[in-house]
Amino acid sequence: MSSSEALLCAGLVRRYGHRTALDGVDLRVERGETVVLTGANGAGKTTLLRVLATVLRPTSGRVVVEGHALPAAARAARPLVGYAGHEPLVYPALTARENLDLYAALFGVEPDAVPRALDRVGLAPRGTDRVSEFSRGMLQRLSLARATLHRPQVLLLDEPSSGLDAGGSALLDELLAETGRTVVIATHDPERFDAAARRLLIDAGRVSG
Amino acid sequence: MSGSGRTFRALLRKDIVLELRSRELVPAMSAFVLATFVLFRFGLGGAHLAGGTRAAVGLFWVGMVFMATLGLMRTFAAERESRLWDGILSAPIDRAWVWAARTCATLAFLVVVQVAALPVFWLLFLQDGPSPSFWVLIAALVLADLGLAALGALVAGLASAVRAREVLLPVLYLPFSIPLVLVAVSLTVHTIPPQTSGFGVAQRLGFLALYDTLFGLLGWALFEYVLED
Amino acid sequence: MSRANGARIDRASAAAATAAALMTLALVLVVFYVPTDVGDGYRQRIFYFHVPIAITTYALFGWGALNAARFLWKGDPSLDLRSYVPMHLGTIFGTLTLITGSIWAHASWGTWWDWSSTELNTFLIIFLFYCAYFMLRFSVEPGEKRARYSAVYAILGVGLIPVSVLAVHLGQDIIHPIVFTRHGANMDNSMLFTFLVNLAAMLSLAYAMYEVEMRGKRLDERLAQIRRLAGGAA
Repeated sequence: MSSSEALLCAGLVRRYGHRTALDGVDLRVERGETVVLTGANGAGKTTLLRVLATVLRPTSGRVVVEGHALPAAARAARPLVGYAGHEPLVYPALTARENLDLYAALFGVEPDAVPRALDRVGLAPRGTDRVSEFSRGMLQRLSLARATLHRPQVLLLDEPSSGLDAGGSALLDELLAETGRTVVIATHDPERFDAAARRLLIDAGRVSG
Repeated sequence: MSGSGRTFRALLRKDIVLELRSRELVPAMSAFVLATFVLFRFGLGGAHLAGGTRAAVGLFWVGMVFMATLGLMRTFAAERESRLWDGILSAPIDRAWVWAARTCATLAFLVVVQVAALPVFWLLFLQDGPSPSFWVLIAALVLADLGLAALGALVAGLASAVRAREVLLPVLYLPFSIPLVLVAVSLTVHTIPPQTSGFGVAQRLGFLALYDTLFGLLGWALFEYVLED
Repeated sequence: MSRANGARIDRASAAAATAAALMTLALVLVVFYVPTDVGDGYRQRIFYFHVPIAITTYALFGWGALNAARFLWKGDPSLDLRSYVPMHLGTIFGTLTLITGSIWAHASWGTWWDWSSTELNTFLIIFLFYCAYFMLRFSVEPGEKRARYSAVYAILGVGLIPVSVLAVHLGQDIIHPIVFTRHGANMDNSMLFTFLVNLAAMLSLAYAMYEVEMRGKRLDERLAQIRRLAGGAA
């Protein structure tokens, strides 16, 4: 086993009650690699990303994120991972600024990073508006700003292209073009992403190349 | 340490701001307490208070526990509704801070409601008869609120990830409130004149403080186990 | 059936046989051997059942909570069963405690429930807690999450026990003479012997029930596992 891999799953199983969502996933993602994960609804894409994002414990099997084995060393892995879920993971009743301030505090990021992040995703003029007033595209951009606020080495994106407006689409491409970062994208629309990225199919809780 | 302080402040601020904007809890809890008091007043015999102020004090404490239970049902509602837990859980924080912030927010809501509820209680039940010691009642309330909030944040965390949570929360929570109510009632009732001698107010306040400490420690230690699916 | 399973069956059978023998001996002692209480008369004999059952209940709850804490510490799934089964049995013994306590209250004080009895009231609070434990457990799908949630609530219960004992004592105006001090200090040797045999009988009965129930649960689990494997192959 080399130290070049960012993510490693071996025989990863995750069950919800009697239902098996991940049924022995074997996966190895090198540092700096971009992986596009496709599969039908309910195939296990979101579950796999949530396990890698350390928010869902594996039922059994081995999961290593940047050298930290889950779930025991999850806390050491968390600063290194950015997770943009299917939902934007922001409080609708708070403003964009307040949401990012909260996450900055949780991730130990200096407060100055928040206006910069808002600026980068083009939301600086709307920073003091409540998120409940945002369009789907603005929410997606805010979600990307939130997930990358702490400059993670590993980025996990669940359906990042759905509902994205033109500005957000350019932003996503810009994010993906940054070198050195490991990215796993779960999507229905693999053609949207760089043809050079490795494509994986997840079906009935198993990953195949 | 300053990192933890910042985490705690940010989470507490979030809980308070969410309540200030949604006005979901405090108005509902206040209206509930008011309705409960009126209900109790008629239940205790309308014009002539059956059982006197002693019975009323007992009902006051039961009302406080029910009010707290009602408030707890919406605890973590924002986090549940749009999977926001995923955002909080992916952060490299000690999850006990989430519990601590929620405990302090709940405590603040309880105190706000009680500031409004106490005068109403006095008007409805105590103005014709002997009253319990005001300062003992305040001290008992603060200590009891702390225990209710500390335990409530933990139990609400348990119930929030479970089927039929609105039904389950009172079932999980009320057994723990029985010792608290038992001691708080005996404490308050005994300060109503004529007082019986040899009754330990300090001992009973000490019990409430012990209750807070015990469930505070348990909440702090156990909360990290209740969030993940 | 594997040899390991055979060993477990033997342990369960041995425990059941011991319990049966001790229960018979205990019954004989209570009915024929122990002298009739001077003050309370024949009906006082329910003491020899009630108190050992209550102690057994506490022992089961303690054992269940200990395994719950070990589960959170180690994450070994078998510890969840070893926590749940004592809790389940503890609730059965707890019901018996409430019933025998109520009969005793009726025999001694003429009421079916004595609200000034600290012992009965403490037990009532704890009993309500364990009913809630089952409600929680049946509201979560089987698996690691259910084990974790049950464990957290079981540990909270350990905090509730001393708190309830204290609260019930503090909440009483006149503390009723507690049974054990009434008899404990001046129990003569024949009474003490009968009491201890009854205690041993109840504890061994609880242990036998534990082994039998664990065997059943393990079989259930293996069956579920086999079903999963069969489903996966199909």
